[in-house]
Amino acid sequence: MRVLRLLTGLLVAAIIATGCGGDDSDSAEPTDSGESSEQTDGGVSDEPTDDDQSTGQVDEDSSPAPAGDLVIAIGGDETTLNPYTYVTGYPGYNVLMLMHDSLLELDAVNVPKPALASGWEISDDGLTYTMELRDDVTWHDGEQFDADDVVFTFEYVVDNTHPRWTPGVAAVAGVEATSPTEVVITLNEASPDFPVRPLADMPILAEHVWSSVTDPQNSGEAENIGTGPYVFGEYTPDQSYRLDANPDYAMGTPAAATVNLAIIPEPATAFASLRAGEVDMVAPIVEPQLVAEFEADGGVDVISGPGFGSTMMNINTGLPPLDRPELRAAIADAIDPQTLIDTVLLGTGTAPNPGFLHPDGPITVDPLTHDFDRDAAAVALDELGATIGDDGIRVLDGEPLDFELLVYADNPTRIRTAELIAEQLGEVGIGITVAPLDAETVDEQVWPGFDVSNGRDYELAMWGWSPPVQLDAGRFGSLVHADPSIGGFNVVGLADADTDGLVDEMNAASDADSRAAAIGALQERIAELRPFVLLYYADGVYAFRPEAYDGWVYQAGQGPLGKISLVIG
Amino acid sequence: MRATLRRVGVTLTVLVIAVGLNFVIPRLMPGSPLRAIARGGDAGQLTRAQREELLERYGLNDPLQVQLRDYVVGLFRGDLGISLGDGRPVTEHIGDAIGWTLLLVGTSLLLTTVLGVALGTLLTTSRRRGVDRGGLVTSLALDALPPFWFGMLLILGFGVGLGWFPTFGATSIVGGGGFVDVAHHLVLPAATLIVTGLGQTYLVTRSSLLSVMGSTHLAHARVRGLPERRLRAHALRAAALPIHTLVLLEVGWLISGSVVVETVFAYPGLGRTVFEAVQARDYPLLQGAFLLLTLTVIGANLIADLTYPLIDPRVRGDAAS
Repeated sequence: MRVLRLLTGLLVAAIIATGCGGDDSDSAEPTDSGESSEQTDGGVSDEPTDDDQSTGQVDEDSSPAPAGDLVIAIGGDETTLNPYTYVTGYPGYNVLMLMHDSLLELDAVNVPKPALASGWEISDDGLTYTMELRDDVTWHDGEQFDADDVVFTFEYVVDNTHPRWTPGVAAVAGVEATSPTEVVITLNEASPDFPVRPLADMPILAEHVWSSVTDPQNSGEAENIGTGPYVFGEYTPDQSYRLDANPDYAMGTPAAATVNLAIIPEPATAFASLRAGEVDMVAPIVEPQLVAEFEADGGVDVISGPGFGSTMMNINTGLPPLDRPELRAAIADAIDPQTLIDTVLLGTGTAPNPGFLHPDGPITVDPLTHDFDRDAAAVALDELGATIGDDGIRVLDGEPLDFELLVYADNPTRIRTAELIAEQLGEVGIGITVAPLDAETVDEQVWPGFDVSNGRDYELAMWGWSPPVQLDAGRFGSLVHADPSIGGFNVVGLADADTDGLVDEMNAASDADSRAAAIGALQERIAELRPFVLLYYADGVYAFRPEAYDGWVYQAGQGPLGKISLVIG
Repeated sequence: MRATLRRVGVTLTVLVIAVGLNFVIPRLMPGSPLRAIARGGDAGQLTRAQREELLERYGLNDPLQVQLRDYVVGLFRGDLGISLGDGRPVTEHIGDAIGWTLLLVGTSLLLTTVLGVALGTLLTTSRRRGVDRGGLVTSLALDALPPFWFGMLLILGFGVGLGWFPTFGATSIVGGGGFVDVAHHLVLPAATLIVTGLGQTYLVTRSSLLSVMGSTHLAHARVRGLPERRLRAHALRAAALPIHTLVLLEVGWLISGSVVVETVFAYPGLGRTVFEAVQARDYPLLQGAFLLLTLTVIGANLIADLTYPLIDPRVRGDAAS
């Protein structure tokens, strides 16, 4: 009896102690799990937007106080976390790059700046890159870094397919070490994106470590020798990683003595651990509903910025009647993105450019605006001959305009968005059934086998592309080109000769002006054809404990997790 | 003896069918393990040839019967294959996780059983009707608690609110590992499993006791003036069979049921391995984990079957015939 009373007491105590804590478990579901092929993460901003974050700037006068043992919650195991084995685009790549360096790296506004290469020159024809390398860099095992490592890396990623870097070096005709501190890279064709990807993206591998690795996807901890500010310390599968500060780091001072990654699959738990003080920063993005709660919590602070991750509704353009651009345009006109942003994101998002590119993105040219006009949509549907049937759903060519909208079941933000879209389209007589499914299942219907030439099996789908897609024109063009070898991301199945021509023109452009013109024209063509409806770009909001470390800086497209926050000077 | 052999035979048949299902079911899930294999979170960037090469390397392009043959041949060699997610042997994955699950499930099962039987006996045989009714209502309520929700409540109440217990993991991230640290981390997940599992043990104990208490031999004993404490002992012995069955069934249930609790508490056990393997469509790891779960459930059933006669002499008679 006494035991029972005790148990009941505990239950009551738990409920009282939590206050309105139940909200947490509902709202802090993963938003970025299974985000198409890459994880949607934070976003981009011109500058860190939170005024209290300015201390984290690379500014010698106001360097943040160094942290001791920093604990960061990540959502899943990243295996042995070396360049060939890390798992996720975010946060896996970000923490990988705490241990490794690339030739260049992106600054807070996505402009390449020197890293292992202290300087570089591009020939007038855009085909030859001469990279001057630092001579004061050593690998974590003490070996000297030199030009041979760079040559080796370019060759290695061609011989050993890496999903992120092998496509990036496809344009390379040859790499030559002209001295221990100079490398000359020649390209087959000019590529304005080359400094961004691969130069500022691909970590340089240690030749003396990787030359003997024949199965890199199954390589291990021993291969995790980089030149970065942190040294791989310890890995406990499914539990944690420890990275130790590298005292010999050539390009600054590590901000923390150790960076510990705690693997916490359930975001609600990760945020509870943050509030309990067991974790100092949470890598998964904070749901909009939680932001106010964290801002009110004295021990927890948030850093935020506009995000490059896009949220959109994909339309299967090959499937009648959705193959009619007029119908797609009417659907787009009947959707009010501002209501979605205000209701679902509580205002923490940027209004869409119907031409896909984020208004503040580095390659965006004259962003367009989405004009919500329900009446115009209704008129357009009438003109198409879609008349309202008995049940209030329009009928076109004898078939009701009633569609299934797929959405990741583990993403409540997208589900709420989808439900609002269903209401908005219902107003003009288009029926929508929201179908929340397991992320892999949605992917398999939208993008079977991650190969657009396999076709697609859906009507409408909530979708998103991760921030890197906003960074280079090649990936932007791959969203809409009909040829699978160029349009690898064309999951909407758009086949339009004019669009293809514009993408080809954009990819072939060797100078900035002609490329910008092509990008502008392509945006307009996309906005006209509406193969997808851009809904919003959600802000990236990340939570941390300032008492543990307050040097977090919001890096464009990547949020605060990376060298930009964890290296001083 | 013949009955025993028959039971072992049935068990082996079930095992063969289960191994087949373990192979087929993961592959029936929509989706592909390609993302897990490709790593780097960017499988969509690969060319078709590169994708094929990756699938080829893991034998995923082979016809299903070839994959099944390789799997079964591997099983006989004690080789469960390589995890698609990280290239580690499946046996190593399971080896890492099983210890934590046994610790969590073992502790919980032991305490659930002891508490459930003790409470069931005390409250059911109490002379005050209100106590029995209160016990019944509470146990039904506990049985209905969703473990995810209750675990989250414990995290927020005792981890965040009171700060008494850690909110995640099996050991502290920085400087953890000792006995006290492990025990400290065990409290909340174990409490979740115990509280949400207690109701069932209580209910079975109660109903089983009630049916025995109404039986003629106990009525007879009561009439003969046996003290209540001894009556209870006699009743419990007779009521032990359903409880025994339940406990053994719960061994299997708790290992799979700990999927949710291990995920909520970021506890590195087998349940979480299953959760992550499902997400990644990591077929070999799923096969291995399901095989272990299958073996546990089948083994527990077999043990229940074979140990009945030890507890109940009447079953012994059946077995002999």
